[in-house]
Amino acid sequence: MLIWVSALHCEAKPVIDYYRLKKSHDDNAFDLYRGDDMLCIISGVGKIASAAACAWLAARYDHEASIAWMNLGVAGSGQHEIGAAFSLNQVIDADSGQRYYPVPCAGSLLPGSACLTLSQSSEDYREDTLYDMEASGFIYSALRFSSAELTQCIKIVSDNRAHQTGKNRQRVSDLIHQNIDTIGQQANALIALNKQIAGLAVNPESWQQLIALAHFSQTQKNRLRVLWRYLMNRDNSAETVLQKLRGCSSAATIISTLELLSYQDSEGL
Amino acid sequence: MVSCVYIETEIRDHPRARKLLERLCNLPLVEIEHYGEVFNPRAQNFRLQKKNPAIIIARKNDGHVLAAPEGYGLGGSHNYYFSHMLNCIYDCRYCFLQGMYQSANQILFINYEDFGERIVQVAAKHRSEAVWFYSGYDCDSLANEPMTEFTDYFIPLVASIDNAWMELRTKSTQVRSMLKLQPCERIVTAFSFTDPVSHAKLEHGVPSIAKRVDAMRRLIDAGWSVGLRFDPVVYHQDYQAAFVNLLDEIFTTVDPQKLHSVSLGGFRLTRDHFRKVARLYPEEPLFAQKMDLDNGIISYPLEREREMIEYCEAQLMKHIPHQSYHPCQWHG
Repeated sequence: MLIWVSALHCEAKPVIDYYRLKKSHDDNAFDLYRGDDMLCIISGVGKIASAAACAWLAARYDHEASIAWMNLGVAGSGQHEIGAAFSLNQVIDADSGQRYYPVPCAGSLLPGSACLTLSQSSEDYREDTLYDMEASGFIYSALRFSSAELTQCIKIVSDNRAHQTGKNRQRVSDLIHQNIDTIGQQANALIALNKQIAGLAVNPESWQQLIALAHFSQTQKNRLRVLWRYLMNRDNSAETVLQKLRGCSSAATIISTLELLSYQDSEGL
Repeated sequence: MVSCVYIETEIRDHPRARKLLERLCNLPLVEIEHYGEVFNPRAQNFRLQKKNPAIIIARKNDGHVLAAPEGYGLGGSHNYYFSHMLNCIYDCRYCFLQGMYQSANQILFINYEDFGERIVQVAAKHRSEAVWFYSGYDCDSLANEPMTEFTDYFIPLVASIDNAWMELRTKSTQVRSMLKLQPCERIVTAFSFTDPVSHAKLEHGVPSIAKRVDAMRRLIDAGWSVGLRFDPVVYHQDYQAAFVNLLDEIFTTVDPQKLHSVSLGGFRLTRDHFRKVARLYPEEPLFAQKMDLDNGIISYPLEREREMIEYCEAQLMKHIPHQSYHPCQWHG
């Protein structure tokens, strides 16, 4: 699952339109839009709001095998043109000085940039960094639930020394929309990475069927999970393996049967 | 494919760092204060990172030369290791480095002079007794040679210290830089091999056996000391035939009489490393094989290990003189 996190609706709108996400009417803590294995949440402005939105969603979707996160929004810049898009490779929290390093997507079409996250808006731009109000809170929270490789921030320059368009909502949507194809490509790369990790997880249904076969201690469950993950990642069907376990009368015999299957399967490397 | 380059701001103007940056100028560059900011955080996925690792250019501030773990080495009394890099460009599924660090990024330390100073001090401490310095513990000594120019600095240094010996451990074919240097018998380039089946299935990105054997031959022809490391020996249903094939391939090209040393040991990992790597690669048959825990080490059951080692030793002894053989001793 990919989760987009934007502070404002106008920042999220191009993504909502691009992926045809539908507003959820079941949630009221945050505005949430849903699509196929994708969510988009409107967090509100500021790093605390962004962190809260991530945590709220991570708790609600903790059954997901793996979640990728994308923070999309606008930023200020001392040197870049309005509409320029960047993938952040360094995020600095201006209050604490804490630095984070989202991992650049290999082959990304977006140039990288550092970004300073401020608690208050400012027009005192420095040359070498972008300015925003959410990235450090977003990444602090998202990294609790996913890895740096699955956590990305894309910022579009809306304000510089010459022009300030960040308060014009339509203009913000337009600036992000101008970059939507590149943003989409970055999202696809992230989705592909996330699928590699999610694909290794144990299917919860077959797992429930397995542990219902006997009473397992926690130590036995740990061993069972290792064996089951191996066999399920080796093109065995859960039905076939479960069928082989039907005659086993205890947790110990189930584990030893699965061990035998694993040993046989691994003989050829 | 390397994803980006991180460099510690403080060393950006170091000549070795500048040279590296020129070479890596097409990659995104991110300045950091200390390599630990990128290398140490927990929220990293080693498996994903290994596919597109970053290069971190850094300075090592302490622990330049450390005592080698017990049982490591070729039987010498004084064994030390040092790491001018952390992590490896290759992706060998049995390697303990997968469980060693949070990150798969490759650190290149550029302050060779600090390593060199410590090597001189340690060698002086042992006066005239032989001291071994192992360079391929946390990395492949030569794999990044075109970038690191490791041999240009360390080989003349060690060669100039009469009681110092150095092992370069490698799976690479990067011997061109050594061929330009004056050979020294106290520098041993040890090539690691697994049998062709294990190589194909477990050693991702490693040059072919034939190319590595050729690199060995070129070094021997130039007068360098060369070693062979059959470590780890990995079990599979055809390991016996595959090991014989490997020996045939090596010894049709390499004169066994000219080998400095040969060692051999079964697959083993500490329990913590094994668990970590098995979690990273749940589909990997190597970690689904029958293993036992012995004194904190996970390895093949004693009977299987004995059978494997005895068989491989017997085959090996058909080729090499007994005095050049050093079995890996790790059982308590």
